[in-house]
Amino acid sequence: MQTSPAIPATDLQADNFRRAAIDKSVRGPVLFLFTNGAFWLMLSTLLGVLAGIKLVEPEFLGNCAWITYGRLQPAHINALVYGWGVQAALGVMLWIMARRSGQELKSGKSLLITAAVFWNITITVGILAIVLGKSTSIEWLEMPEFVWPVLLICFLCYAWPIARMFGRALRPEGFMVSTWYILGACFWFPWIFITANVALHCLPSLGALGAGIDAWYIHGVILLFFVPVGVGSAYYFIPKITGQPIASAQLASAGFWSLAILGGWTGMQKYMGGPLPAWMTAVGATAGVLLLIPVALVGLNHHLTTLGKHSAVAASPTLRFIFFGAMFYPVSGLVLALNSAFWTGSGLQFTQSWYAFQMVSVYGFFSMCVFGAIYYIVPRLTGCEWLSVRLIRNHFWFSVYGVGTIIIMSLVGGWQQGADFNNPDNWDQTFMNLVVNSRGYVVSRAVAWTLISFSNFMFLLHLLLMVAGLGRRSSAPTLLDHEHDDHALPTGTHA
Amino acid sequence: MNFRTFILGLAASFGLPWLCLIVLPAMQYQQLTPVAYDKEADGVEGMYPPAPVNGQGLLVYIREGCNQCHTQMIRPPQLGMDGWYKGWGEDQEARSAVAVRSNELRDYLSEKYALLGIQRVGPDLANFGWRAPDAAALHQHFYSPRSVHDWSTMPAYKHLYTLQKIQGPASEHALKLPRKFAPPAGYEVVPTKEADNLVKYLQSLKKDYLIPGQAAVAASPAKK
Repeated sequence: MQTSPAIPATDLQADNFRRAAIDKSVRGPVLFLFTNGAFWLMLSTLLGVLAGIKLVEPEFLGNCAWITYGRLQPAHINALVYGWGVQAALGVMLWIMARRSGQELKSGKSLLITAAVFWNITITVGILAIVLGKSTSIEWLEMPEFVWPVLLICFLCYAWPIARMFGRALRPEGFMVSTWYILGACFWFPWIFITANVALHCLPSLGALGAGIDAWYIHGVILLFFVPVGVGSAYYFIPKITGQPIASAQLASAGFWSLAILGGWTGMQKYMGGPLPAWMTAVGATAGVLLLIPVALVGLNHHLTTLGKHSAVAASPTLRFIFFGAMFYPVSGLVLALNSAFWTGSGLQFTQSWYAFQMVSVYGFFSMCVFGAIYYIVPRLTGCEWLSVRLIRNHFWFSVYGVGTIIIMSLVGGWQQGADFNNPDNWDQTFMNLVVNSRGYVVSRAVAWTLISFSNFMFLLHLLLMVAGLGRRSSAPTLLDHEHDDHALPTGTHA
Repeated sequence: MNFRTFILGLAASFGLPWLCLIVLPAMQYQQLTPVAYDKEADGVEGMYPPAPVNGQGLLVYIREGCNQCHTQMIRPPQLGMDGWYKGWGEDQEARSAVAVRSNELRDYLSEKYALLGIQRVGPDLANFGWRAPDAAALHQHFYSPRSVHDWSTMPAYKHLYTLQKIQGPASEHALKLPRKFAPPAGYEVVPTKEADNLVKYLQSLKKDYLIPGQAAVAASPAKK
């Protein structure tokens, strides 16, 4: 699948030159996206801390209009999704597609940089607008109406060359599952994004159907954009670093197509029992539970691929992040199923478990995979190695514990909220029990975001040093475990 | 599998849900219009839904992101207690005989985008208009939620109010606040136009009007 050991040395060298040329061709846009994404991630996590505190203690930092929870929370989510998520995803997609297709980025590099600059300017304006009181209150589309055409054009500036690379390099033997996922993400995101924005901003009025479309949009972006990029990079890096081929092509194919078929149906169950026609929420709930199938198929495949290579997980920063990210994928499927099925979803509806689902998929799964990818990609683009094992290790552990805490606390807190709400004794009570009982969970969420902010500060610092060319000058990659078994990492896999 | 079949596969697998869940329902929704009550069967005249929500106040509600913590959707009894909460519908009696009805598409007909809500940190507001206190009490709640409930986690929307020096007689709109939350002596707090609109919006939230043709169903006790 990757470099086979039988290839003679001269071919290996030619291969390395070819790889270096590809890396050089995408260097500018990819590093630009990663660096800006890391800044947005930093901002988003800080806003997450603040939003958590404001949800418990609304008078924290005074009663300024800009930092009320109703404005902070959307700013936090939008910075995470568009500032970090989509941006970092585009960088990873471009690099993996260039490498997988063996194509250099021939032209249009300045167009890509320009698109990335516009993307960042637009997000900045959009998030400022939310905070200053121009929010649309449409979840995940809170930024004012005028931002979406700009974002769409910027996205297409990247999607087009990625799709072109895929088309030019298509050979049956080189057709690998990670490129399917990445092409799928290029294809689905604009479709979902245009549909939701046209429906919610351009059509005259959709009333409650608009709320359903918005819920569909959020699930679509998670399941058909973030998930494919995460799974695609896992499928790319796990075989590359363990030196094992993907365990089963059939499982990979079935996992991809079942996601493609089911992903578009889910979402409207967020408003189960609401004004939407019952069949819509029922279909969404069914698909939400059935999505356990692709999750299980991919999970099994990854498990079989990493089997017996766990020492590489300890040593390689990339594999460690991706391994744990891939472990969060089944968790996110489980949370989605819990929120979707009627018998659990009715208790979890409108509670923090909704936040748990967003965070486990966008942070726990997608971001962890992207961190892994960045730890692999950046040294190849900057020509130097990561400076400090300690920074990487801290980034990893604070992220894992932080996001784990958020998921568990939001789920348990959500269950508690639902139980309080549906407790018959509360029928004539104020919301005091509900507010007081969920306080502890929100506090722990704020604490967890603090841990994550700390980890992201180290990540941002490390990344900036690398981009500035201040990394280690060495041909040996920075590994986390120095006493590792030399056979754990086959030679050539870190080329 | 070549490039073309791959793309066709993607388009087909995603196009089907896109068409069935989004495009066709959106087209159908455009045909949705208010319906007239039947005087004989329903006992009321006019159109259903009878009155739109206050549009100016809705803009403030949207701007402040109130839907982050407040839903506007009553679920049927099999999914939650919503319908049985005291005063959550037109019937403000302590224990009503029937649960407040769950919502349907026409309840949101006047709204461009229905704010069904993200989380339920605070009470549901679908039918808040029926149980809304007078404007002065609502203004006090917005200006200083903790003067109403000391455990409240609702933000204080002080920016919707003006703190001004009392000149001549005190304004009749000035908020009457408990001493702990009151402005310094010689000053008063008056609502802005936006705060007034927000109050009017909340008072206009009544989404449990009689559905045409269902008067008989609602009036008769549950059939055993």
